[in-house]
Amino acid sequence: MKKHIKNRNVAIIGIGQTTLSSHKEDQNQVEMVSEAVRNALADANMTLDDIDCIVHGNMELFEMQFQPDMWHALGCGSYGKDEYRITTGGTVGATLVCASDSLVASGQYDNVLCLGFEKLQEGNTTGGITNMADPLWFRNLQTGALTSTTATEMIKEFGKERVLRAAMKYRIMIDKHAMLNERAHRRLGLEYDQLETLMETSPQLVGELRLIHMCSQSDGACAMILTSEDRVKKGTAKPPVWIRDHETSHRGENMSNLYGAKKPKSTHRDCAEKLFKRNGIENPLEYFDVFEMYDPSAYWGLDWLREFLLLKDDEVLKLMEAGEFDMDGKLPVNPSGGVIASNPIGATAMLRPAEAALQIRGDAGGHQIKKEVRHALASGFGGTLWTVMLMLEKELNW
Amino acid sequence: MATKRVAICAVAQHKNEPDLWYRRFQNMLLDVLEDLQGQTGFKYGEGGVEMIVSTSDDFFDARTISNNGVTDVIGGQYLAEEKMAQEGLNAIGYANAIILSGHKDLVLIMGHCKESQGESRNMITNCGFDPFYGRATGLDYLNAAGLQARAYMKKSGLTDDQLAEIVVRSRQWAVKNPYANAQEAIPAGKVKSSPMLCDPIRQLHAYPVSDGAVGLLLASEERAKEFTDNPVWITGFANCMDTFFFGDRDLTSNFALKKATANACRKAGIQDLKKAADVVEVMDCYAYQQPMWMEGLGFCGEGEGGRFIAEGGPGKHRVNLSGGTLAGNPLIIAGLYRAAEATLQLQGGAGDRQVPDAKCAVAHSTNGPAGQFHSVLILEA
Amino acid sequence: MAEFFGTTVADIFNTMPKRFKPEASKGVDVVIGYDCGGEGGGKWKLTVKDQTAKIETVEGDLGPCTATITASDAETFIGVTLQKIGAIDALSQGKMRVVGDTRMLMTLLPQIFVQYTVPEKKTEVTARGILSAIGDRFRPDKAAGVTLKYGYDLTGEGGGQFTITITDGTCTLKEGLDADLAVKMTMEAATYVGMMTGTIDGASAFTSGKVRIDGDMMAAAATGKYFDKYVDPNAEEAEELLSLKVVTSINQRFATGPVMGKWFAGLRDKKLLASVCPLCKRTLILPQEICQFCHVRTTDYVELGPEGYVTNFDLVYFASPDPLTGEVRDTPYACAWIMLENATPEEAFAFEINRKDLSKLKIGSRVRPVWAEKPTGSFRDILHFEIID
Repeated sequence: MKKHIKNRNVAIIGIGQTTLSSHKEDQNQVEMVSEAVRNALADANMTLDDIDCIVHGNMELFEMQFQPDMWHALGCGSYGKDEYRITTGGTVGATLVCASDSLVASGQYDNVLCLGFEKLQEGNTTGGITNMADPLWFRNLQTGALTSTTATEMIKEFGKERVLRAAMKYRIMIDKHAMLNERAHRRLGLEYDQLETLMETSPQLVGELRLIHMCSQSDGACAMILTSEDRVKKGTAKPPVWIRDHETSHRGENMSNLYGAKKPKSTHRDCAEKLFKRNGIENPLEYFDVFEMYDPSAYWGLDWLREFLLLKDDEVLKLMEAGEFDMDGKLPVNPSGGVIASNPIGATAMLRPAEAALQIRGDAGGHQIKKEVRHALASGFGGTLWTVMLMLEKELNW
Repeated sequence: MATKRVAICAVAQHKNEPDLWYRRFQNMLLDVLEDLQGQTGFKYGEGGVEMIVSTSDDFFDARTISNNGVTDVIGGQYLAEEKMAQEGLNAIGYANAIILSGHKDLVLIMGHCKESQGESRNMITNCGFDPFYGRATGLDYLNAAGLQARAYMKKSGLTDDQLAEIVVRSRQWAVKNPYANAQEAIPAGKVKSSPMLCDPIRQLHAYPVSDGAVGLLLASEERAKEFTDNPVWITGFANCMDTFFFGDRDLTSNFALKKATANACRKAGIQDLKKAADVVEVMDCYAYQQPMWMEGLGFCGEGEGGRFIAEGGPGKHRVNLSGGTLAGNPLIIAGLYRAAEATLQLQGGAGDRQVPDAKCAVAHSTNGPAGQFHSVLILEA
Repeated sequence: MAEFFGTTVADIFNTMPKRFKPEASKGVDVVIGYDCGGEGGGKWKLTVKDQTAKIETVEGDLGPCTATITASDAETFIGVTLQKIGAIDALSQGKMRVVGDTRMLMTLLPQIFVQYTVPEKKTEVTARGILSAIGDRFRPDKAAGVTLKYGYDLTGEGGGQFTITITDGTCTLKEGLDADLAVKMTMEAATYVGMMTGTIDGASAFTSGKVRIDGDMMAAAATGKYFDKYVDPNAEEAEELLSLKVVTSINQRFATGPVMGKWFAGLRDKKLLASVCPLCKRTLILPQEICQFCHVRTTDYVELGPEGYVTNFDLVYFASPDPLTGEVRDTPYACAWIMLENATPEEAFAFEINRKDLSKLKIGSRVRPVWAEKPTGSFRDILHFEIID
């Protein structure tokens, strides 16, 4: 595989988030976006004059606004500047960071601000998601984003009791992380001794997927500022977080061919294999100090950990059972509470590298991992099981 | 060391049609893909194309994540694909950056749009205004253009006769373009008597409803020769955003276009674009936009659009020899059609429209109401 | 704090910012000191300048003031403020003293402040209280054609058991839990009150198990629809936020194209067609223009099935509403992944299973399609797949 050559290095130097809630009725879209942008600029101790390009993206039909970046020019600071609007799916937040990385690395722009947002209550999210399916056929079958097929596959492989317990343990662990993050949206205060009760009492949505396992919907926005190595050398308000590499793996719209007699490779594993191979990382579990993974549900969280970390057999269950994904475990997963705790879809995938960057900076407050974080991994999910991955580093030494 | 410059190796266009009711996007894009593969022999996967930038719009497609329906056709299976969710010319600017950054050395661009699918493109563009005020007043991109047209005609002295002249000329060139939609030659009288859509914009001043698809293959300098003997180099790209509310803008100022032009020229090392460019392709959805965008690009002085037309500017500067958007492109990929024509001209592949010895071309596009956002691409052979 | 006439001295000062009228204080530049003696008293300083009012408590000396008002006790101060005690009387009796321009004070203060009134006592909100008035919030128009009986089992202090019956556009509440409830919701009474007054997030309460649902979860989710939102009588008037509710829809005409056209034509003939990749030979179902793995156009078609076996399925208990119509499918229903005969190993076909077969549905179940009587070339041609015994 050809060695990956970056034209110049890029760092994250500003991170801004709005509060997350289920209905942000006291702000319109522009105001919400503006709050995130101002927070990011304040974090970087920069003004809009320093920014030369804005990168925007979202799924139009969620808020029913055609080409929203036009209206949002009022709030995201793109007046008089270059601007790009790039989207993928739920992965968009992560894609925007990847795109901004390319724009700065190319030398065409020096300071790029990217922005992800969601105001779900302004549209109809399920409608938005259902509208993703082909109108001729799949739209009639589509149930939104709820499915228990992954749980079924895992149960087939490892047995019901073990999988259900591991998934519920994952859920409680995630909630414990969320309780440390004052920004997280859903913080339930769950305890491990509730595991059996929740397994029984949480209402079933689809098959073994219960209400407790699923992420919910949130409104909110996130903005990040990326800059080149030259500027970092001149001095930044906060320690820079370097973007080492990123990769995206997509697949077609057809969801039927996921559960045939032979299952295809997941885009998660495909993306991870490519990214790690070209970066010489043989053991991601050992290499990374934190993983902010896009986990829409506890089952997917568990299954995708196996895929991303290139684990075999029941390794992932063993690690889960041994608590190795806890805050003080071998590889802390979602110290922020992840997607299950907070899901402003357009921003969710950006929050993953944002939270990973905060960990590297040592800036995560209540949910900061105690051990030094030098190597971080972040992932995005969306579309028809698409994957985006980013590798972040504390130092320029790879 | 990453590459120093990026080339467009090949372009493929689906003919712009008024109503492709019998073909899906997938069919259209497959034709474009096969055309590109035939021209270049490119493959997907390791050592080949690993990144695709698609262009489409969720409203026009009536489909969230509109690119997911065509992922299989454009080659996104287990590869990276991102959607340029704004006007397609920006996909070229973005792909240019991806290759310059060293992240990938080949990028495939595939855009599609069918204006005929929804009952009204004006209903769609109405949703581009803020829900509380703009939308409620019934603004859409057509009547927004009407406001701008009226203001610009006053400022520049552009006349109704001249608008008709622009349309007539567009048709004369479109007939030489196998990919154009509206090729029927029409006399000026017919343009002037066509019904008013939104004063001063008449029906024949407006770009016809169109369906289409465009593909381009971009490569780093080192790899371009694998795919073409005629690389067309991207020497400058920039875009610029104006503000949103009309009350805050001077609709005739070309603020965003002037800034984008200046930045693109700076990157290309061009001091005087009107001297340097051999071919110009501007996105003229409405007739008044041709002289207005030419003024923004610096081909005539402030407020001189009327004079530009009177003195035969479009002919002199080889403007829109493809017929332009006036001959019919769907909204979100019109810029890609402009870039396609510019590329063909520089490759010597423009048939009856060919400008001899064309070395430098400008492709332009606009997005948002009344030209709120503009993109400028400078290409050189 | 000592209460007189139903309120305290502190409340008079605490409400001054809210009662202040900036427009009426143009050109006013005064500092007024207040000294109220005895229990429930204290010292305050009011500064009005540049159309703003600042009120602060003061320890020790009031400092320079334009005027000072001194009351001997809280009762006098409150009484005069509420005009229950005449100001002149209080001044004559020496219970109130003013240093400075009395007349100015008597005209200025009513001008720049809304008259103080005693706040209404907070109404006690209980679960029982909220439920007993549920009929007042019932919306017969939203419950047209609905028959539903559900119950609340509220535990802890202030709890109780209640059955609510909605039928024929009426809503009745009674104590106790009937046997034939569609759904029963169990929670602490305090949780119920919190959810209704908005201090507890309902969704979190459901998710974390603070609210337990026995029975039809869809019915539980639906109950909110039939009532106006409960208004907390003690809640301060929230700032009124305007929101715009509108349904945006644009009619579409989706093209089928030759490949999907062939699929639908196949359905009309009760056939399940797949396109075949000339290179890897996959049987792509639904048929596609291209093989996404080989990037080549597919040209051949093959018929699959009709029988097959189930490899995975989703048994749906909670259906999401249809985005355009808001309608919700009856649950439970199941969507299964089916390996049809002659299909290549990865290419499963997903479709709904006959609702009558849900209890029998297993991984490995053999199934076959059940066709509409007169297929027309549409999604509805296949009614469902049924299990072959």
